[in-house]
Amino acid sequence: MRKLMFFIPFVLFIALSAFLFSGLFSDPRQHGSALLSKPLPAFSLPDLMEPQRMLSADHLKGKVYLLNVWGLWCPTCNAELGFLTELRQQGIEIVGLYYVQPQDSAFGETFDLAALQQDVAKKLAEQGNPYQLNILDEKRSLIFDLGVTGAPETFLIDAQGQIRAHHVGDINPQNWPALAAQYQAVVQEAQATGAGGQQSEGATNAP
Amino acid sequence: MIPEIGQLSLIFAFALSCLLALVPMYGSYSGNVRALLLAKPLAIGLFLFSATAMACLMYAFYHSDFTVINVASNSSSVLPWYFQLTASFGSHEGSMLLWVTILALWTALVALFSNSLPLLMQGRILGVMGFICVGFIAFSLFMSNPFERSLPFFPVEGRDLNPLLQDFGMIVHPPLLYVGYVGFAVSFAFAIAALIGGKFDSTWARWARPWTLAAWLFLTLGIMLGSWWAYNELGWGGWWFWDPVENASFMPWLVGTALLHSLAVTEKRGTFKSWTVLLAIAAFSLSLMGAFLVRSGVLVSVHSFASDPSRGLYLLAFLLLVVGGSLFLYALRMNAVRSQARYQLFSREVLLWGNNVFLLTATLVVFLGTLYPLFHKELGLGSISIGEPFFNQLFYYLVIPFSLLLGLGPWVRWKQQQLPPLLKPLTLVALLALTMAIGYLAATQSLAANLALLGCLLGAWVGMSAIGEVYQRAQQLGGFSTGIGRLQASHWGMTLAHIGFAVLVIGVAMTKTLSVEKDVRMKIGDTVELNGYHFTLTDVYALKGPNYGGQAAELEVYSDGKKVTHLHAEKRFYPLQKTVMTEAAVHARLSRDLYVALGEELSGPSWAMRVYVKPFVRWIWLGGVLMALGALLALLDKRYRRASAHAEVKTRENTAAYTGAEHA
Repeated sequence: MRKLMFFIPFVLFIALSAFLFSGLFSDPRQHGSALLSKPLPAFSLPDLMEPQRMLSADHLKGKVYLLNVWGLWCPTCNAELGFLTELRQQGIEIVGLYYVQPQDSAFGETFDLAALQQDVAKKLAEQGNPYQLNILDEKRSLIFDLGVTGAPETFLIDAQGQIRAHHVGDINPQNWPALAAQYQAVVQEAQATGAGGQQSEGATNAP
Repeated sequence: MIPEIGQLSLIFAFALSCLLALVPMYGSYSGNVRALLLAKPLAIGLFLFSATAMACLMYAFYHSDFTVINVASNSSSVLPWYFQLTASFGSHEGSMLLWVTILALWTALVALFSNSLPLLMQGRILGVMGFICVGFIAFSLFMSNPFERSLPFFPVEGRDLNPLLQDFGMIVHPPLLYVGYVGFAVSFAFAIAALIGGKFDSTWARWARPWTLAAWLFLTLGIMLGSWWAYNELGWGGWWFWDPVENASFMPWLVGTALLHSLAVTEKRGTFKSWTVLLAIAAFSLSLMGAFLVRSGVLVSVHSFASDPSRGLYLLAFLLLVVGGSLFLYALRMNAVRSQARYQLFSREVLLWGNNVFLLTATLVVFLGTLYPLFHKELGLGSISIGEPFFNQLFYYLVIPFSLLLGLGPWVRWKQQQLPPLLKPLTLVALLALTMAIGYLAATQSLAANLALLGCLLGAWVGMSAIGEVYQRAQQLGGFSTGIGRLQASHWGMTLAHIGFAVLVIGVAMTKTLSVEKDVRMKIGDTVELNGYHFTLTDVYALKGPNYGGQAAELEVYSDGKKVTHLHAEKRFYPLQKTVMTEAAVHARLSRDLYVALGEELSGPSWAMRVYVKPFVRWIWLGGVLMALGALLALLDKRYRRASAHAEVKTRENTAAYTGAEHA
């Protein structure tokens, strides 16, 4: 009995390690689960490139797409552009949600749309343009409603406009297969109900 | 060129650490004295090469060599030179190299100052240190290389150092903290060497004590500096946030404190043996786990480094090997050990046992509070977070019995103590504490605050009792005036550290209960009143620093019509990192801090300002400094130096004796 007592610290430590191990492979930033299976929050925001055109949740209904939160100021987002462009070429629909960083008026910063459009166009011409269109969220209202904690983050939206997956961090060839499987499932579901008839088939080529 | 030299040095250091892990261990098993004697030069070489690697990295930062990825992402050419140097350990990669260098430094110090140890023991200790070095150098070399280049394409300007880290506190905080963290590796190595040898006389405890004291000293200073930094830089007037990274440093500190006390029992009384060994393993294991938690991204914290599962996996594997291995060895060896000492219920042994129980309960509270969200999530129960109220409440309950015991502890003798002789002095101390606490609070009209009263009472009890005990001991040593000179340095150290704790408790209780704050909107010329202080905003103007812009506010503070001070608060904007930082204006006095943070510019023009009056907040850090000084005094005790005086002779004698005895 006394002999076994000295093994208690060892056993406790092994149990702890098991937790730490599983913790290593679950995303600690997975807070977005509250939004899953909820519809995309209502919004009415301008198109980044054509600001006179107002976009709303209804515009995007009826197709399966990825809503990608990004910004020029975010290095990881820029790194992700290339791979996302490849995905677009495979037929995945991607809508950008442009994250405008808070301006600090105390330092004489003001929001300059024309300059932003120019910079975005230049960047997308260089790195590839994965986006069907870009929603401009200058006041970060939709970003707030979505519970975005940083950029990049990506939401999978189904044909009914419901959020089906929330991915924090960049999408890259390593983590794409998991998301691709979810994307496939949602596309097939949409085809079964007939709502997503116009959805392209290209996504099956996903690695 | 220089970064390549650094890389090469790190590779040499790796090779030397492998040899250090293997050769002396081989020597200890085969009885090969020459293999054992190699430990010392290997350890020193290991340190020299690690230090060269660190110096090369600093050189690359100093010269803004942006071809090195690490430099490009953590420094910039407009950064002041001293921050360029400290940026070398501001990133994950750089801080890992600093960790390695400090570990190698401790290894070399053990090699240099362990001449009084039997050669066999020395070889085993250095072998264990070498093994730990192998793990961390390999991690630095293969998983997070600080010298990686981005050639042929490299940026012309770096991304700048995180502005949060551009502060004097941050220059010294990480090295001090690491010296403390890593220092527990020495206590750990002593414990493992004792486990391997299977000898648990009180000698190993005597050898391990000064090293544990030194590690604890630096860890205390490191934590205090971190707290002081947060107070000045974060702009909320807070000094402890129960953030996972802070907790990761607090847990080894708590266990280290328990270890210091338990080592005393093992050394003086030859008991608590298995317990002390377990604490030595636990203190270092918690340091390692802290490194894992901070760097693996398992817990999300404001100051965790970028996460990468492969790094986390490596650290976890290393943790399993080191901690799992040592706990297994512990289980195998310890069941043969019996403590021979006997003691009564009312004795110093039992009180120190109480000290350990409370310190470990506190560790458990921090541990569960930090990891509970992880357990909760991994058991599929969803995400939760545990905040300050949990920790504050539990620590509130723990600190009361702990302080009561702490006041009693030093008076009580080893083995057995009769109560009657203590009754008179302790009643005197208690009455004195009561008068002082109530007297002060009544004089400042804050008697109604229960928590402040409780804190002052506990603090005064601990402090008065420490002073009273010194007085009594001095009288026993031949009258107060002669006896006071005869007290040992370690006795003074203990007294000072206990007074430090008392000061800390008073500081925390007073700051927590009596701080007042106001969030106000001020125009130039406006005055706001807080606790009898009138803060007048006299000017706000644009600020231009080397790598930042921003605004500065000037305030005049009056009390009873007399000018108290002039305050200068800044709000800095760092364009390269696009971050806004608060540089709070603080006017510090022992009894209170005046604290002003400049906020957003509002229309008008007016500014959002946060104004605080925080009584006794200095006492928190003062308490920490006193504790560290206490450790320093204890470290200077003659006993430890006497041990190394007969160094050479003993080594030669012991070499034959020990190797012979064990392998005969």
